[in-house]
Amino acid sequence: MTTEHMLRMGDGKRVYLTKEQILTDLRDGMADAVDLGDIPELSGDELDKLMDIITMPSRMVGVEAGMEVPVTHDIGTIRLDGDQGNSGVGIPSSRLVGCMVHERAFGADTMELGHIDYSFKPVKPVIAQEMQTMEVCQQNMVIPLLYGAMPNMGLYYTPDGPFENPGDLMKAFKIQEARESMEHAAKHLTRDMVWIMQRMMASGSDGVNFDTTGAAGDGDMYATLHAVENLRKQYPEMYIEVGMAGELVLGLHGEMTYDGTVLAGLWPHQQAPLAAKAGANLFGPVVNTNTSKSFAWNLGRAVTFIKAAVKASPIPCHVNMGMGVGGIPMLETPTIDAVSRASKAMVEIANVDGI
Amino acid sequence: MSKEETFKLLSDAVVSCKKDAVVAAVEKAKSEGIEPAEIIEKGLASGMNDVGIMFERGKLFLPHVMMAAGAMEAGVKLLEADMPKDAAKKKLAVIVNGTVEGDVHDIGKSIVSTMLQSSGFEVHDLGRDVPLQDFIDKVKETGASMVGMSALMTTTLPGQREVIEMLKEQGLRDKVKVMVGGAPATQTWADKIGADCYAENASEAVARAKELLL
Repeated sequence: MTTEHMLRMGDGKRVYLTKEQILTDLRDGMADAVDLGDIPELSGDELDKLMDIITMPSRMVGVEAGMEVPVTHDIGTIRLDGDQGNSGVGIPSSRLVGCMVHERAFGADTMELGHIDYSFKPVKPVIAQEMQTMEVCQQNMVIPLLYGAMPNMGLYYTPDGPFENPGDLMKAFKIQEARESMEHAAKHLTRDMVWIMQRMMASGSDGVNFDTTGAAGDGDMYATLHAVENLRKQYPEMYIEVGMAGELVLGLHGEMTYDGTVLAGLWPHQQAPLAAKAGANLFGPVVNTNTSKSFAWNLGRAVTFIKAAVKASPIPCHVNMGMGVGGIPMLETPTIDAVSRASKAMVEIANVDGI
Repeated sequence: MSKEETFKLLSDAVVSCKKDAVVAAVEKAKSEGIEPAEIIEKGLASGMNDVGIMFERGKLFLPHVMMAAGAMEAGVKLLEADMPKDAAKKKLAVIVNGTVEGDVHDIGKSIVSTMLQSSGFEVHDLGRDVPLQDFIDKVKETGASMVGMSALMTTTLPGQREVIEMLKEQGLRDKVKVMVGGAPATQTWADKIGADCYAENASEAVARAKELLL
């Protein structure tokens, strides 16, 4: 009887596959990345290693000794105190306590302070509170503490913001007006992110984490890269981390450029050099999980993409690993079998600098 | 120029997303005596199909798809006079689409609506945060043969199931196909709630709609 191995589908469902089926899925996932990103295949040895990692009998696995990498953390303390169905565990605690728990109990190598709304725009009216909290946290912590939030350019469109919603304009085939709305929103977003970080730096922040860059398309990334550039000029020593929202920059505008490069349609290995060029010193590449494909397919694809990104990046890459990214199934609390295997593969095969 | 070369010219013009190029290519095809139906099917629609493939591969994006669709529409308009009455305006099917109540996410659903429209469906996009009863009312009003529902949060997913139950209660379920999508939606979820299909992205939504409705 053929041995079958327990894996997950991208939606978390358990499946049992033979080695042959796993290898087929690994190869197909890799081929998808190679085709879309026009990047090199993994070597035979690397595929063998992926197979070993996937079929290890232990419930969870870890990296080989000496290959440990730093772990950066996003979403601030919301993982602890969040209780609104956002994957937080609802433990009542101050943000100071949350940050310190991450530092002293969870072993986070860096941490970030974030507001419950976790977007830059809503921070503007509560900036004094954020500044005070940052200062108090810095007085109690040793590890680098960044300020983190999402650019979230969608908040600048109606009904949440001043500019007409490009989605509504597009539906009316007003493409030029939609593009102008995105350009206006991007300008305001850049201005707000720089203004907020000027104040957080004045309060002792070690830097900034732009989380889920590009979530609102190419305009979102355009605004973020300009904010990075601006901040780098003002603060040559600050840490600037740019983490992506998805594997591909969606072209909602379609023609926005940075440093002469069209942002729409960039894959991770093309995003990283641009983030570095703008002045970031850490890049967080993302590869999306396909819920209809197996863990093997998703991991083969994700490792292929991330390996190319790490190779192309002049700055360290801390790959995004979690719910629905990095080959990990789309579950609010991702299963440890998949998380630990995907993480090991990213470190040992894709050569990421951190997670 | 051979017929095949003319079809290629038409197709390339649509892929270029430029109205002027499409209009010129259609004029040329007409002058060569090619039937309007052939110009549309083998030239313009073939180009739109290529646009859909490039969209799926991240080479073209929503504004490009819309410009291509607009250019194609201009081309079809030039042919209307030579076509049987109403043939040019005939839509493939009517689809009601929206993001369910409690969920304000819009972009993915709007891309799906636009892609369906560009593929020849008559789409009634109800927007985001849509009261569930509105889906039912719109189906009755338009005689739609498909309902598409998006949800981007696990907390709003159950709205998709509720609309299916409401369709059953109203005796509409057998007449209306249901498509679900959104980040937390999966094929397993679609099976569980009795939806007719799940689509991972906009291109897949168009393919599933064609499979189920045509």
